[in-house]
Amino acid sequence: MESRNYITACSKDLKACSTCLHLCKTKQFHCHICGSKIDSNNRHGIQTTIALLITALVLYIPSNLYPIMYTTYLGETSSNTILGGVITLWEHGSYPIAVVIFVASVLVPVVKIIALGWLSYSVHTKRILYFKNNHRMFRLTEFIGRWSMVDIFVVAILVALIQMGNVMRIMPGEASIAFAAMVVTTMLAAHYFDPRLIWEKLDQSEEPRVYE
Amino acid sequence: MKQLACNECDLLIKIPELVHGYKAICPRCDFVITRFRERFRTKLLALSFSSLVFLALTLMFPFLIFTAQGRERTVYFLQSLKGMGEDTYFIVVLFMIITTIVVPVALMVGISFVVVSSRLSIGLPTSRRILKLIFQLQAWNMAEIFLLGILVSMVKIASLASVEFGWSFVAFVLYIATMAAMRIYMDKYQLWRIVSPTREAR
Repeated sequence: MESRNYITACSKDLKACSTCLHLCKTKQFHCHICGSKIDSNNRHGIQTTIALLITALVLYIPSNLYPIMYTTYLGETSSNTILGGVITLWEHGSYPIAVVIFVASVLVPVVKIIALGWLSYSVHTKRILYFKNNHRMFRLTEFIGRWSMVDIFVVAILVALIQMGNVMRIMPGEASIAFAAMVVTTMLAAHYFDPRLIWEKLDQSEEPRVYE
Repeated sequence: MKQLACNECDLLIKIPELVHGYKAICPRCDFVITRFRERFRTKLLALSFSSLVFLALTLMFPFLIFTAQGRERTVYFLQSLKGMGEDTYFIVVLFMIITTIVVPVALMVGISFVVVSSRLSIGLPTSRRILKLIFQLQAWNMAEIFLLGILVSMVKIASLASVEFGWSFVAFVLYIATMAAMRIYMDKYQLWRIVSPTREAR
């Protein structure tokens, strides 16, 4: 398959409205069907993405250093960080849950920030080589991002359920706010990244190219 | 045949009329542009209505019953979200209520309105505004993540206490199931087609 067989909307001064898929002219400011803004320059989003990624990276620090919850058991209060909770679960033998929490709360945010950062960088320097794989990576980060929120829901349920005064009690920790904010910022970062940019270099190159 | 550009890689494509069960895929980036299912409007209406009913049932009955050291504690659905308190963690509580209740309700009411108005061919401009909002809100629907959260926390406290599921929990699972089924029929291309101005002119 050669790139010459493919004609992009950009080359015809057209752009698909991302809300309703209607094919608009790039000169238009708003889509005629749904009224959404038409931004002729796909690159505008990258700066927003990078800004949000940096915010997420900053928020990642307090969300791992501060405790996500405080457990009071028979008058003694102890604090748990996200990673501490994973280790406790692992020691108690609930391996599948430990893995779920580790992947959702520790691994996914980091991988997502790195992946989106890498994509923004390579799009900026036009270094993308594996179009389809990069696009797949982007789709994956967009899909798994919101599942990181599971830890916040777990804390909320535990806090609601376990309220027995000094005998047994769980209170939320400061990290929960930072963590929730971080998940939201990474979701927004993925939202502002336009996957069309991944293919841009291919569209501009003169020579025919084989995919993958 | 309608000409479109792939929303993900900008390729110009012509979309043919599809029959039930067929989908149109971008030849370059494999993005599923549209999937056509027969009578998707009726199905969407039925599913969104049943989702709303299940949500109402979820809010009414006890959600989880927690027993430890001879003491019992019954928690309702809203309580389980509001547990973090209203002062410091207010913002987190608000976020959870929005993502598990407000956004799904808005989606279901919105979809019902769009489907009914396209059937009766009235109020289509309002429908377009609502549909735009629906697709913007869709990513913020996190009810199914809450379900995973419940399962994880059940395992976490299994050693400390016993937890029973109330009737509300059954309704909640059905609420998630109907919503997941709804997602199958939420097709951008097909939904925008039924509210587009060309249809109005006809």
